[in-house]
Amino acid sequence: MSSEKEHRVSRRQFLTYTLTGVGGFMAAGIALPLTRFALDPALEGGDEQEMVAVASVDELTEEPQRFDYSFEQEDAWHTSEVTQTAWLYLDGDEVVALSPVCTHLGCTVDWDSNEDFPNQFFCPCHGGRFEKDGVNVAGTPPTRPLDVYEMEVRDGTVYLGRPISRD
Amino acid sequence: MKWTMQDIDTYLQAKEYVDTAVIPLIPIDLKEDVKQKVSMGTFISTMADAIERQFKGRVLLFPAFTYIKNQPLEKRKSELIDWDRHVYEQGFKHVVYLTADGDWKQVEDELPDMLVWLPALPFENMEDRYLKQMIDQQMKQIIPLLTNKWQSEPKQRP
Repeated sequence: MSSEKEHRVSRRQFLTYTLTGVGGFMAAGIALPLTRFALDPALEGGDEQEMVAVASVDELTEEPQRFDYSFEQEDAWHTSEVTQTAWLYLDGDEVVALSPVCTHLGCTVDWDSNEDFPNQFFCPCHGGRFEKDGVNVAGTPPTRPLDVYEMEVRDGTVYLGRPISRD
Repeated sequence: MKWTMQDIDTYLQAKEYVDTAVIPLIPIDLKEDVKQKVSMGTFISTMADAIERQFKGRVLLFPAFTYIKNQPLEKRKSELIDWDRHVYEQGFKHVVYLTADGDWKQVEDELPDMLVWLPALPFENMEDRYLKQMIDQQMKQIIPLLTNKWQSEPKQRP
């Protein structure tokens, strides 16, 4: 009983504590979602790109084939539809997925399109050439091989992610 | 390359490789057939983007040469020739004028370099995959125009 006496709280103090407490909760209730919404796009991490189903393994041959695919890319606040192309072929049982972007200045390369250079990737802009495995041909403008896509094969389907640069 | 800060840096560092200017010619008109003009504009912008994507390393895509449809053709033509002269003098040995406006066909022979005229296709209500097919088909026609042009001597300006 005596301890309760020592802790007597006046009506005024009681009201102050209660109001501060309730006010605090209200302020937090408003502020937290706001902060969360503001940070959300930043927390998601912009360049995280999901793997996209591009082709079925049955379709692939030893000969590189062109596959176009599109996916939604979220770039912080903006979502856009992106179309990408990949050259896919089989090397034994392994699937190889090359980016079509010439490593010289970014034109789009084509497979086996120039009569003088059969079985090579050829860039129509400045005559850059790449072997079937994407390695650049010495003496042509590109200085590194074609990028390879991050790749996964699940249940007979080829999924591609980001292009990765090799040196 | 596009007319953007990022691409222009690449251009400035690799000028000797970039010798082709693509200039879209797009009419403006709020009096007659407004929708048809808008449709022409979007079609040409879409095709210009596709060309830029294919030939990124050798082509600089300029902001559109935009003009009022009912102003005299002679006036527009001489303005376009000024653009051509400017870019030619800055090292663009090949200039491609890309348009869906038939007017330019009438003065094609008086233009200093290559006019590519494409009949506008109604892209607006098209599903994405058809749109892609259409662009691909158009590109099959356009790619050889450019690669052949590169094989031949640049046109001399007077």
